[in-house]
Amino acid sequence: MTEVDLEELMENLAQCRRCGICRDAVYEKMGFDGVCPVWKNTAGFETSFMRGRIQVAIALIEGRLEKTEENAESLYTCTLCGSCTSICAAEFDPAKCLESVRQVLNEIPNETRDTIAKKIIENNNPYVDENKTRRNWVKEVGFDIPSTGEVLYFTGCTAGLKLPETAISTAKVLKAAGVDFAVLEDEPCCGSVMIRTGMVVEAKENAEKALDMILKSGAKKILVTCAGCLKTLREDFRERFGLDMPEVLHVVEYLQSLITSGKLKLKKSDKTQKITWHDPCHLGRALGVYEEPREVIKAIPGLELVEMNTNKEAAMCCGAGGGLRSYDSGLAKKIAADRIRDAEDTGAEILATACPFCEHNLKDGAASIESNIKVVDILDLLAQRLE
Amino acid sequence: MKKKVIDDISRIVGDEFISTRPDVLLTYTQSASMASDPIMPGAVVRPANKEQVCEILKIAGENKIPVTPRSGGSSLQEEVIPEPDGLVVELMRLKEITLHKELRSVTVGAGVTFGELEKYLKEHDLLLPVYPESALVCTVAGNVSVNGAGPGSSLYGCIGELVLGIEVVLPDGTIITTGSEANPNASGPYQRYSFGPDITGLFIGSLGSFGIITKVSMKVYKRYKFYDYNTYGFETHEQSEHFMVDIKQHDINGIFTSLYEGPVLELFMDMIGEELGIPAHEWPFSTVSMTIGSVREDLMKSDAKLAKKLCVKNGGHVIGISQLPKQEWNGRLWFFVRACYVHGWHWRTLYHHQTPTNAHQSVEVIRKAMDKYGFLGHTAGFVSGHSSFNAYPHLYFDPQDPEDEQKIRDAHKELAKALFKTGAVPFKMAEYWSDAIEGMDSYMALLELVKKTIDSQKIMSPRKLGGI
Repeated sequence: MTEVDLEELMENLAQCRRCGICRDAVYEKMGFDGVCPVWKNTAGFETSFMRGRIQVAIALIEGRLEKTEENAESLYTCTLCGSCTSICAAEFDPAKCLESVRQVLNEIPNETRDTIAKKIIENNNPYVDENKTRRNWVKEVGFDIPSTGEVLYFTGCTAGLKLPETAISTAKVLKAAGVDFAVLEDEPCCGSVMIRTGMVVEAKENAEKALDMILKSGAKKILVTCAGCLKTLREDFRERFGLDMPEVLHVVEYLQSLITSGKLKLKKSDKTQKITWHDPCHLGRALGVYEEPREVIKAIPGLELVEMNTNKEAAMCCGAGGGLRSYDSGLAKKIAADRIRDAEDTGAEILATACPFCEHNLKDGAASIESNIKVVDILDLLAQRLE
Repeated sequence: MKKKVIDDISRIVGDEFISTRPDVLLTYTQSASMASDPIMPGAVVRPANKEQVCEILKIAGENKIPVTPRSGGSSLQEEVIPEPDGLVVELMRLKEITLHKELRSVTVGAGVTFGELEKYLKEHDLLLPVYPESALVCTVAGNVSVNGAGPGSSLYGCIGELVLGIEVVLPDGTIITTGSEANPNASGPYQRYSFGPDITGLFIGSLGSFGIITKVSMKVYKRYKFYDYNTYGFETHEQSEHFMVDIKQHDINGIFTSLYEGPVLELFMDMIGEELGIPAHEWPFSTVSMTIGSVREDLMKSDAKLAKKLCVKNGGHVIGISQLPKQEWNGRLWFFVRACYVHGWHWRTLYHHQTPTNAHQSVEVIRKAMDKYGFLGHTAGFVSGHSSFNAYPHLYFDPQDPEDEQKIRDAHKELAKALFKTGAVPFKMAEYWSDAIEGMDSYMALLELVKKTIDSQKIMSPRKLGGI
């Protein structure tokens, strides 16, 4: 299942009739006010959106374009956000195709991609040499968290190593809801970024290792707070690698029932703050989880949810996905800043999301334009309002 | 392309907005035109304003570099395929919109798409009543340069009919404004036929052959408030064609009036009927799908009533399925693009106009070509103005089968000739019509003279306009 059927891929790529709707369509009826965040935030040549990327991909595969790092650049300056897929009039998934193209063409040099994969294989995460530090946050929650159990909180690399407050908040919320949960001792990376950047053989090796560790923990249900982990563990492990996974849920999916059943009690508030919701691409467009986080926000006293101009299927990306944050962090932050402006336009004081990777990039985007909007994970909001 | 030329252009637009990279150039070798040979340009530049366009054209002229203007890149008839080692001037950064509310007009930069303008005008309760099938990608100025049509054209005609004036950069870099705004003291675009001959018209449908349009000023109208959506069935071509004529003769406000042969409609419905919520139906030999729109309810009701009478008078029956015209109009920025790409085929088209009573001739000619060459295809069309009918034949092929593609190229060539003989006229004289036209020598000689006068070095879109 790690092999790409080249004939099928070429047939799919041929579905692109170069209509260009994936560039900047403004179509209120479907909620679109632009499509490609990269086109919008770069010099805007054809290579900066999917129509051009597909032409480059076909030419590289057919050998009409020399396989150099520069010629393949456009394949990697894409967040794989799937906004183009949402509006494409043809019957194919351009973003998914591009992911396969990256795999087929992964012999083309790309230091960023190779370094990330190497780090994950060697260290179990893309960020630091000592992976065990990712569990340091457990010491700060004020109660013990076992490393085995039927419900496993799979923290993810970004929450574990970059934004531990999200992990701490999640633990507090789960504890408050009466959920017994475990966190792995030496949690591995889910490998999402390896899959997205075309290192699928390495990703499979990583996935098998990850599953082994998950199963040894006794997990029957896996909870995640990262949209990338969710898509990878729920969808890619099964569909790409044929791995038989326990049920995987994002905490926002799990929480909705906890809140409505009254298991999670939240403090009342005498003031109202406007909040807007950023749909992480892997949670929304990829898996269709749109309503659960909105329902959770609506259930939090003192918050008024206001929508951004583009949301749900038409939501603009935060800019971090598809490996772009590592490949071109300047561009990723520029896209994030654009999304922050969208949030500011709503008049909201808070921008919430449910993906540490989005949160991390959006925070950088906000800083780059000196925005006062507060970027938070939905779990942090909940943790602050626990009774 | 010479380094000095690139350096000179870089100084005008900044390094960021010019590219000679092979991967970038590759993406400008084609457009949405299918079964076309890609041609590699030497550079692509993205100017920000008319002044930059002017300086770029001066450099191109001095160096005799062929120039291909391009905006949305959605054209289907090879209009923006560049010249070898030529310069592509991509105009998507020209995004200005200025509304002249009292003049009922709007001026838009060459990079403004129909989708963007629709959103803007809706806020002012206005509309530009032409929506090409590529409206979400296609720019208004680009559409003017190919004289396109679409929903809305049934009442107002091709987009050329709505142009009040343009701003154009001539091949030597001179910037002119046409229409009332040729007078620098004019309060805005309000009269196209100012100062005598229609200079504006020279650039409409010119495919970039005489200069680069940087702005267009368009008539805009109050958005309709009341609609009637209906379908009318007929058993002969004659009946449905005369019904379309009668609609016009009685000044019925059919803002979009489509004509489908039974099998063609079945094909469309198989593809997208369920998705669009159009009920299954045994469609008759010929169906007219019409949206009547009006700002006044009494006019709409009266028109709807009369349309039904005229249908019956012409031997037809009112089908009464409203979802088809409703989807055509309400989904006008999406319906057609979806129908064009939902299936897996690539296709070539050969847009042309007929008189409404000649519509069946297009169908017959295309059917003959399908039989002779053995390809799948269809044609449908819509009323496109005072007394014309716009047919949009699609000739399908498998892009991964070179023989199939060649067959379509051959059939396409022959079809252009056959259509011309039926009295069909292209609304843009794309290059492949040049082989089809006969008996127009004097007309073409005049066109060549105009080209030679305006573009003596022949740098602008060479060969695009009927081969000149």
